[in-house]
Amino acid sequence: MSPVLEVADLSKAYGDVTAVDHVSLSVDEGALFGLLGPNGSGKTTMIKVLTGQIRPTGGSARVLGLDVEREGLKVRERVGIIPEQESPPSFLTAMEYLEFVGAVRKLQDIGEKAEYWFDLLEFGDKKHVLCKDLSRGTRQKLMFAQAFIHEPVLALIDEPLINFDPVMQDVVKGYLSEYVRKGKTIFLSTHILEVAEEICSSFAILHSGKLLHAGPVADLTARGTHLPEFFLSLVRKDHHA
Amino acid sequence: MPELFMRMMKEEWRLHSTMFGQISFALFPVMIFGIVFMGSFLLPLMHSALPLGNITLITHAMFLVLGIMVGGFGLLGNEMMNRRFGQASFLAYSARSLPLSERFIFANFVIKDTVYYFFLWVLPFGAGYIAAAPFTETPLQRAFLLLLTLSLSFMAGLCTVFLLSSLYVRSKLALVLLGAAVGAGFFAIFLATGINPALYFPPYLLYHSFSLPGLIASCAVLAGLFIISVILFSPEQTGRTATHKDLFLPVQKRLAGLPNPPLVAKDFVDLHRSGIGIGQTLFSFVAPLIVIWFFLSLVRSYLPPHGLLFLFAMISGVIASTIYTWVTEFDNFSHYSCLPVAVSTLIGSKMTTFAILQVIPAVFISLAAAFSGEAALILPAVVLCISFSFYAAGVMAFLCGLSPSVLVYDVKVLFTYLVLDGLVFAVFSALAFANPWYALASLLLFIPALLMVKAAKRRWDTVDPTGF
Repeated sequence: MSPVLEVADLSKAYGDVTAVDHVSLSVDEGALFGLLGPNGSGKTTMIKVLTGQIRPTGGSARVLGLDVEREGLKVRERVGIIPEQESPPSFLTAMEYLEFVGAVRKLQDIGEKAEYWFDLLEFGDKKHVLCKDLSRGTRQKLMFAQAFIHEPVLALIDEPLINFDPVMQDVVKGYLSEYVRKGKTIFLSTHILEVAEEICSSFAILHSGKLLHAGPVADLTARGTHLPEFFLSLVRKDHHA
Repeated sequence: MPELFMRMMKEEWRLHSTMFGQISFALFPVMIFGIVFMGSFLLPLMHSALPLGNITLITHAMFLVLGIMVGGFGLLGNEMMNRRFGQASFLAYSARSLPLSERFIFANFVIKDTVYYFFLWVLPFGAGYIAAAPFTETPLQRAFLLLLTLSLSFMAGLCTVFLLSSLYVRSKLALVLLGAAVGAGFFAIFLATGINPALYFPPYLLYHSFSLPGLIASCAVLAGLFIISVILFSPEQTGRTATHKDLFLPVQKRLAGLPNPPLVAKDFVDLHRSGIGIGQTLFSFVAPLIVIWFFLSLVRSYLPPHGLLFLFAMISGVIASTIYTWVTEFDNFSHYSCLPVAVSTLIGSKMTTFAILQVIPAVFISLAAAFSGEAALILPAVVLCISFSFYAAGVMAFLCGLSPSVLVYDVKVLFTYLVLDGLVFAVFSALAFANPWYALASLLLFIPALLMVKAAKRRWDTVDPTGF
């Protein structure tokens, strides 16, 4: 399979703070890739760089064959994104927000597409409520819907499950697994290791901006270990190093 | 109270200083000081054209308007808690999870704004005048008195806006009735005495004939306005589940012929639902301009024929350009970060929204011209106002991108803004004073305005968005 995402020696610094430090990795088409790391490890910065929201300070990255630094807008046209903080505009209703996303992305039949998401994520009763009045979980549902409403070939999603109850987490995990079965790719950033182990096909671990490990989840199973213990041993070792 | 207040002060300082560096921000009051210090030496020249009494009157009016605008930007309608506390003022937002009442937080917030902007604007201005006093033969005690009365003017503007915005959230009808009562009162004073009511502005009266009871009375009125606004303050209730009918698609359809209809439609839905559209029009546009009209009309005899209307049109243009600030203030780039929207596209859509909203100053200047008996000059007055507004907004977009309300406190930005706008203001005022119809030449300002917006798009596309 060809890589849909390739990162070479990528760095991003904010002043004196290096958030991403010479990271190289690639993600194949059809993968459900998990980017794992503790808080502040650089996961969110990685997603921002990979979607052209901010510029790298070193190295390069290509997403769907596009250079993220020069063609960030085209990247955002073709991928779906769930940002770290769910932030639909305050004074649009949930329905209007999806209409807005549809208009910006020039989608046809946005009403039908929106209804599909209201049904799947079970928040149809909130479709005419202003985004600012929605609960955190419902806002997260809305952000999930906007990321997938145009059925992108690649979605980069930052902690998509964190505000969902167990029932909704199950629905969403099922959706993501089905999505990659159709040949599409998910780049999932999370620190919920159990979820990553359950649904991801491959993963990478970031710590203090550095890549500690990258590889298939199946390798861990073959070694008779689990992702949470592997993650903790690696991060603790790096922390003491 | 002191703990929360001090931390809010630190927060406001850090909000500004982290945007453009502590030294650059600290230079802001130094620049105000320097401008006033140097400007004080020009006073003898200005006396030959305008009596000292009128200069001090206009200075008091300026600080009243400054207070109104500072208050108007911070507090607007029932959106305030979400917009201001939810995003920019994190401490106030987290304080809501502490055992502190919303009113207590609001009171701290108001006092913090008053003190903070006093040190930022009022004190440097007064200090510049005081420092120049020995060289301009101004009695030192008069210079100190000016600082005191300008502070009162500034606080009068702030407290009035806080009161009006609290009332606005409670009852729009009450606000209209209060406005009508004040207007009727002013008119009655004018009818009874034939004197412009602006001359009865207490800080101005206090400056001309200082008395301790007068000072105490002024302070008591300000305290009264503050206490009433805190009592009337009604925080927005979060978690409401009121439903709304779909506005976005119909508005987008109406705007289909414009560039970026979805983005502009979103702006208008936001303006409508948040109350910012009406609130800002009242508190940041109509209220300051009515005050300015009252005060400027006192110097009518020192201006050329029709000079008052055209000076007012220019000043209205300056204030109308801040509509760009309104439309960039109520959302931030994070709303668009997951969509294929470039910063340049957003600047373009905000300018489109700004352009549509220019109907407000156009109507306002037309009414001012009609009511002052100069209806024949509506066209050049409106053209002058709108052209200058576009030019100033273009300058603002170039200098500040999508963050004008924050970056304006960068001393380099403000200095450049003042120079670029000041020169054009001087040239076109002179033209309009020479012949009102020469004001039509201001249409030329659309050329640099467009070039500035183009340059702004190029410039801000190369900078990582900050979220403000």
